[in-house]
Amino acid sequence: MYIGESMPEIISVTELNTRVRDIFSVTPAVNDIWVSGEISNLKKYPTGYYFTLKDASSEIRAVMFNSARARIDFEPRENMKVAVFGSIDLYVLRGSYQFRVATMRQSGIGDRYLAFEALKKKLQEEGLFEPSRKRVIPMYPKTIGVVTSQSGAVIHDIITTSASRYTANILLAPALVQGDGAADSIVAGIELLNRAKVDVIIVGRGGGSIEDLWPFNEEKVARAIYSSAAPVVSAVGHETDFTIADFVADLRAPTPTGAAALILRDKNEIRSQLSSLSQRLERAINNTIVAQRHAFDILDARLDPSNARNDLDMRQMHIEDLSKSMDYAFINTVRTMRSRFDLLDSRLRPERAIESIAEHREDIDDFLSRISSDLDLMMERYTMRLDSIGDRPDKRIGSILRDSKDELESNSKQLEGLNPLNVLTRGYSMITGRDGTVITSVNGLNVGDNVTIRMRDGSASADITKKEMKE
Amino acid sequence: MTDFEEEVQNMTFEQSIASLESLVKELENGGIDLDKSIEIYEKAVILRNHCRKILDNSERRIEKIMETADGFKTEDMKID
Repeated sequence: MYIGESMPEIISVTELNTRVRDIFSVTPAVNDIWVSGEISNLKKYPTGYYFTLKDASSEIRAVMFNSARARIDFEPRENMKVAVFGSIDLYVLRGSYQFRVATMRQSGIGDRYLAFEALKKKLQEEGLFEPSRKRVIPMYPKTIGVVTSQSGAVIHDIITTSASRYTANILLAPALVQGDGAADSIVAGIELLNRAKVDVIIVGRGGGSIEDLWPFNEEKVARAIYSSAAPVVSAVGHETDFTIADFVADLRAPTPTGAAALILRDKNEIRSQLSSLSQRLERAINNTIVAQRHAFDILDARLDPSNARNDLDMRQMHIEDLSKSMDYAFINTVRTMRSRFDLLDSRLRPERAIESIAEHREDIDDFLSRISSDLDLMMERYTMRLDSIGDRPDKRIGSILRDSKDELESNSKQLEGLNPLNVLTRGYSMITGRDGTVITSVNGLNVGDNVTIRMRDGSASADITKKEMKE
Repeated sequence: MTDFEEEVQNMTFEQSIASLESLVKELENGGIDLDKSIEIYEKAVILRNHCRKILDNSERRIEKIMETADGFKTEDMKID
């Protein structure tokens, strides 16, 4: 250690291993990669598999924990050729590195996997998987075609599952679903069922290893599905792995049983739909009938003679009320005029008042008879109008009433003209003698008589100074 | 048998239930006179009965298809 030189950094072994681990963990070249090799020194522990992965000239420790183990459908064995997918991991405690396996495929399958990815990419680019080209699965097919093995559980499951569902014929096109010639056999089945004009086709098998499913990853099967006139439902029976057939098919069912259930509606479900439609139908027709009956009731009530009678009675009463009030109006007018006469009468000589009334008797009688005949006429008119129950009868009666009232008022004005008092308002005077008698002739006057001159607004006293007779 | 009943006899389940649905909707919308409403109702009942008949009475054929020299043939399949 020299003074002046900077102190070199000293780290612990743990720190070193930690740093290496950290470098490993961020280096793409050693993360999420496929590595091929052969399994040796395989040991099974409760936590997972520990083994050495080796090729002709090198080897690496590898670990596959139970979580990854669950993702593969085969048992790793000593000397098995595999492709493993995962990342480099450093075990800090020992300073040793190992490959942590996320998933594993048997070799050969690794090559197929690449082929699968390439085909998938190619067909995807060609548009074979486009959601827009997926055909609608008919809701109530007459015949379902099935391409699968004649002997397997698949056709049996489909027949059983569909028994309780909407009734459709089942037409099986027996096919090899694994091994050599399987793809050609599946293609032939799809084409045959199209010639038989089935409504929908299920293409499937009952699961199996990746290898078993392989025919469903072949291009010719994909193209046959794509070209099928009838919609195709794939049912390869593998929950996790998708086959190319699944991507091309119009619908992917997880299992053949699932395919039957997806295609055919449950009978009870259809029955309850029919019941619901039936209830809606009954409700709708009832509503229509209730509405029509209501409209009819309104018309019927208007047509019913007893209702018409009531209506007529009501209007009759109304008119009687109106004519009563007209009578009162007339009586009141007469009363008012009468009291005015009485007032005058007290101031005039009674004989004169009687004379005056007698003079106009004819006019009054005439007026009274006219009013009376007017009322009769009006009653007649109302009755006529009632006979034809027209629109707004109240309004018409109102207008007739207004006309009558005008007539009545004009008549009372005429009567008013006959009032002797009115003569005074026109500028004439009335002269009464000492005894209050009206003096109408000079004969009744002598020079020196004291008389009273009555005018519109009062009276004056005067002495007669001269008298002259008209020739 | 009315013309409409005859027509319905030849209808598929899908056509029948679709017609039934649209007649029910038409009636629900209202504004139709009584004669027409009753006519719609009667048609709907015929369709409903036809649907129920198809649903309850139809039997299925389970067959297999085989290629032949002049096309294909179908034959009944035994269910184990």
